[in-house]
Amino acid sequence: MSEAIVEMRHITKRFPGIIANDDVSFSIGRGEIFAILGENGAGKSTLMSILFGMYEPDGGEILIRGIPEKISSPARAVELDIGMVHQHFTLVREYTVTENIILGDEPWKRFLGLLPYVDVKGSEAKVSELSARYGLDVDPGRLIEDMDVAGQQRVEILKMLYRDAEILIFDEPTAMLTPAETGMLLKIIENLRDNGKTVILISHKLREIKRVADRCAILNRGKLIDILDVPGTDTARMAHMMVGRDVPIDGRSTEARAPAADFGDTVLSVDGLAVYGADGTMAVNDVSFTVRRGEIFAIAGVSGNGQTEIADAVAGLAEVQSGRISLNGDDISRSSVRARIGKGIAYIPEDRQNVGLILDFPLGDNLALKKYRTPPFAGGAMLNRDAFDAYAGRLIDEYDIRGAGCGRAAVRGMSGGNQQKAIIAREIELGADLIIFVQPTRGLDIGAMEQVRCMMSAERGKGKAILLISYDLDEILMCADTVAVIYGGEFLRVSPVESISVDEIGRYMMGVTEG
Amino acid sequence: MKGRAVLKSLSVPAIAILLSLAAFAAIVLLTGKNPAVAFIGILEGSGWLPRSGYPLGSGQLTDVFRTLDALTPMMFASLAVAVAFRGGLFNIGVSGQMLFAGFVSTVTIGYSGLPSSAAFPLVIFVGASSGALAGGLIGLLKCRFNVNEVVSSIMLNFIFQYVISFFINTSYIDPVSRHSAAVGKDVCLTLTDVFIGGYIFRIPWALAIALACAVLTLVFFTKSVRGFEMAAVGKNTRAARYAGMSVERNILVTMFLSGAFAGLAGVTYYLGYYDSIMPGTLSPMGFDAIATASLGNMHPIGIIAAGVLVTSLGQGSTYMSNIAGVRPEIASLVIGLILLFSACSYYIKYRLEGGAALRVGKKARGGKMAMNTAAAENEALEDGRSGKEAGKT
Amino acid sequence: MSLVVIDGLSFALPLFIIAVGGIYSERSGVTNLALEGLLGFGAFTGGLFVVLTSGIFPQGSQTPICLSFLFAAIGGGAYSLIHATLCVKFRANQVMSGIAVNILAVALTGFFTYQVNAGVFGSPSDKFMIGVSPRVTAPGISDIPVLGAFFTNVYPFEIMILAIAAFCWYVLYRTRYGIRLRACGDNPQAVDAAGISVAKARFGAVAISGALSGVGGMCFAYSITANFSPAIYLGAGYLAIAALIFGNWKMIPALGACLIFGFARSAAYQVAKSLEISSNVSDLAMSLPYVLTLLLLAFFSKGNRAPRALGEIYDKGKR
Repeated sequence: MSEAIVEMRHITKRFPGIIANDDVSFSIGRGEIFAILGENGAGKSTLMSILFGMYEPDGGEILIRGIPEKISSPARAVELDIGMVHQHFTLVREYTVTENIILGDEPWKRFLGLLPYVDVKGSEAKVSELSARYGLDVDPGRLIEDMDVAGQQRVEILKMLYRDAEILIFDEPTAMLTPAETGMLLKIIENLRDNGKTVILISHKLREIKRVADRCAILNRGKLIDILDVPGTDTARMAHMMVGRDVPIDGRSTEARAPAADFGDTVLSVDGLAVYGADGTMAVNDVSFTVRRGEIFAIAGVSGNGQTEIADAVAGLAEVQSGRISLNGDDISRSSVRARIGKGIAYIPEDRQNVGLILDFPLGDNLALKKYRTPPFAGGAMLNRDAFDAYAGRLIDEYDIRGAGCGRAAVRGMSGGNQQKAIIAREIELGADLIIFVQPTRGLDIGAMEQVRCMMSAERGKGKAILLISYDLDEILMCADTVAVIYGGEFLRVSPVESISVDEIGRYMMGVTEG
Repeated sequence: MKGRAVLKSLSVPAIAILLSLAAFAAIVLLTGKNPAVAFIGILEGSGWLPRSGYPLGSGQLTDVFRTLDALTPMMFASLAVAVAFRGGLFNIGVSGQMLFAGFVSTVTIGYSGLPSSAAFPLVIFVGASSGALAGGLIGLLKCRFNVNEVVSSIMLNFIFQYVISFFINTSYIDPVSRHSAAVGKDVCLTLTDVFIGGYIFRIPWALAIALACAVLTLVFFTKSVRGFEMAAVGKNTRAARYAGMSVERNILVTMFLSGAFAGLAGVTYYLGYYDSIMPGTLSPMGFDAIATASLGNMHPIGIIAAGVLVTSLGQGSTYMSNIAGVRPEIASLVIGLILLFSACSYYIKYRLEGGAALRVGKKARGGKMAMNTAAAENEALEDGRSGKEAGKT
Repeated sequence: MSLVVIDGLSFALPLFIIAVGGIYSERSGVTNLALEGLLGFGAFTGGLFVVLTSGIFPQGSQTPICLSFLFAAIGGGAYSLIHATLCVKFRANQVMSGIAVNILAVALTGFFTYQVNAGVFGSPSDKFMIGVSPRVTAPGISDIPVLGAFFTNVYPFEIMILAIAAFCWYVLYRTRYGIRLRACGDNPQAVDAAGISVAKARFGAVAISGALSGVGGMCFAYSITANFSPAIYLGAGYLAIAALIFGNWKMIPALGACLIFGFARSAAYQVAKSLEISSNVSDLAMSLPYVLTLLLLAFFSKGNRAPRALGEIYDKGKR
């Protein structure tokens, strides 16, 4: 290791009832790729948020280039040449790449030597130059809203480079990327190191860390387990240290699957579906598929390729432009949302806080959100409030939903995992033949993630038809029976999951159909 | 538990009232007058305290009933605001809907010469339904054409004001009063010139309807299927649509109902509290009702209390002006301040409740407090718990 | 015909500058229904300045007129800080805050106009008499048929408004502050991440909207009403909001909307006048711009795209 550029000594951070970081110490050398490995909830993000000035530690100190620093705000962190790419990008969507990059530090010129104005044109040249130097391939004049996730992420990287950041923190940077995009990002990260930058990579994906990282700190439940030289350690050992037990490295589940012949009757049949997106362009084009009883049919793809629109169209939230959707043989293409719920469609939406729940409503009301009109919840025009309480009590027990007492407290105060469990409980209890899961485990800690996948697999076992949409390829490989790969609103390939390779799926996700 | 919750919900309006009264006192002091005298003047003028002397045939009860007479349309108007708010909409066109309903009822029933027994139910019916139409139009513009309800209701306010002024001036004007011709006594929803024990009273019997409506509205909000849907649409349109509710229908129903209450406010105002319409003006009541409803925390029962307060301010202001020498307009100033402070309810609540969380939050975020610190901590707590329990097994 | 143009412009341009104020506020992410109250309060402070200083300046001097606009801007700007504080600091419902500010403005200005008239001049009245601004005509150009009307009997403030609006455009689209302001209305998190205070940018935007509304209100006080009185609250603030919604939160289309409203209003007046029917009909004519606004909004609101973060309370803790 070369001289230390970042030293974290005895960092402790407590939240009420939990210690997020417990006496964590390590130092990072200039010009290395340092990975921080751990499960969701292990304290990785908290630790890096402390380094980036978003939290103050309760104990310990931070040294940057050997000097003790009190990093009280992200602004201070930027002054110390620290940059961070968050999971949620902070970009102004109606601005161009360059405008986003210079925001907050805009160079200006004077018009006719008088009126000062922001020099966007001149900045574009600098952005181009930076982009070329690090192999980022970004067009400085493009609007953010026209770019895909990977492109937007590269803009975030450019933002750091434009501010001459030397220490670059990446928070789970590959969560939303295809395998090919991931490969490109890892190459960029290596490029950055080769240009003398120090990179801190937060991840729970061993493969990536193994591929690029020089050293790696492993966190488990807030404690530092060990610091390893990555090239000299095998992944099985790293995985064991991260989880605290043995885990299969291959994402594919070992549980036996029902062969194709065992699937039951067709529940959902989609034929030649076309849907317009919110911006008025064709989001889904001529998509056909069927989902049978006992089958998990997964749609793989990069976010924004029409998946949400397919789910919304099936659930009745998006208008079917052409084509036919039928459920158990009945054409439901023009049915109302309510009629479809009645016919047997349950839907766990991607945006759980803005679509799946009414955050200001109590948990009990949210659990009954699709049943409130029917007995025992309502008799005629009036509600029976006792039934709400009883129902909430039962579901809270059965699905282990915490954080809302006996169901009278608003769901706003609940954790993300419990909110998701509440939605899944509500949808499963509909007893529908078809259940649509969109990104069901996004942002959940590993415990909740396992619970959710168990519930999904249990429903499959009960003979439900399941439509799974996920941007996480690992999840799809782990759960799906059949996988369809969507690109630009069209299915490029539909196949049983065992007869398609990860690389193939990855290629189709990028829109590559041949070779 | 329940008692404490009620107390808690009362603390915010209490603080809003105290702040407003403090501002009231400061302004009165600034004009060189005595705030205590002004305050007592308001209470005396609105009948809650005895005056030093009364004109012949009047007494304290006369004043009380006059205040109740004004309270009746105020109750309806505030309910109109509260119903719309429940459905996620701002009905700031209550004044216009009042005028429309008042005008339609005046020209259809007011001048008909019908006996009370027939006229009263007809006035109530015509008032409510014409108000509902006016409100429904705003709802229609919103759900069909995506027109912001605040802008459209203001435009309708002006349109009603001018167009009705035109009709009154051309056809129904009383050349002496410059108002519309007075409606008959038999039609007027407030019984005037009632003599009891030598005192003269105005009996606003429709207040009973208003109070019943408040209770019914509360039941509607908390116990009815439609009320549940309406609140769901009001809180989160996308989730409501996802749950299978018709957002459009709920917006329409909300504005229909809100307009109906505004219509009832209109008839109890123009064919009750007054007996004629002054062309070219809108009643300020539709706007005061926003203050009343928000002071009452948009709760039908809270509105009754807030209505008494706001109406008393208005009714007592003339008398206060006489004895304290303060301009009566200060009453509307105080009403404006009440609205301003109740708009800060979130912040007041936060300061009241968040004391403990605030201190922890400050430490955690180095002084940068964030309102959802509590939620974040809750989340951390939850995760911590599940983590611990997972550890046990 | 030329009267239609002259009167139309004198209504449309003040409306426009108020709408520009609204654009500033809403592009920064703060819903601003308070424009009506802001223009009234601005006109009040401007009018107050005029009546308090009458007699100090020589007869016919233009100085008090110019200064009154300055005071109107300061008054409107200062008063708008209430809205800014409520929305940015106290996390109030922005619609409710706007309505509160409007109601309070009517009450405050009415009350204090009485107090000042009674206290200083000994005559309780709800008006500050400030007279009508003189008009100017550009020699030569004004003789061109139709087009000439745009240069005839123009209030000087109309020219001022165009200059201010041009400057506002430059600030909003070409300066650092403008770039940051518009970013606040699209993604405040991005602005915060760039180390800039969202609260400050929004405070500034609301204050600017207050100042511009104040100027607009003063224009009305100098033209349509010829005084400061409760008559100043004729709904121009709401028309301005309609104009900016109609103009999709952009300045040039909003100007178009204002011109449509202005010309519709003056045309209706002239038609009513030329038909020589009873003066009552003028009430019907008065309702025309509002009817037109409603119709235009109904037809053109569907595809509107408001700033993404409009009305959203920005929470620093939220990521």
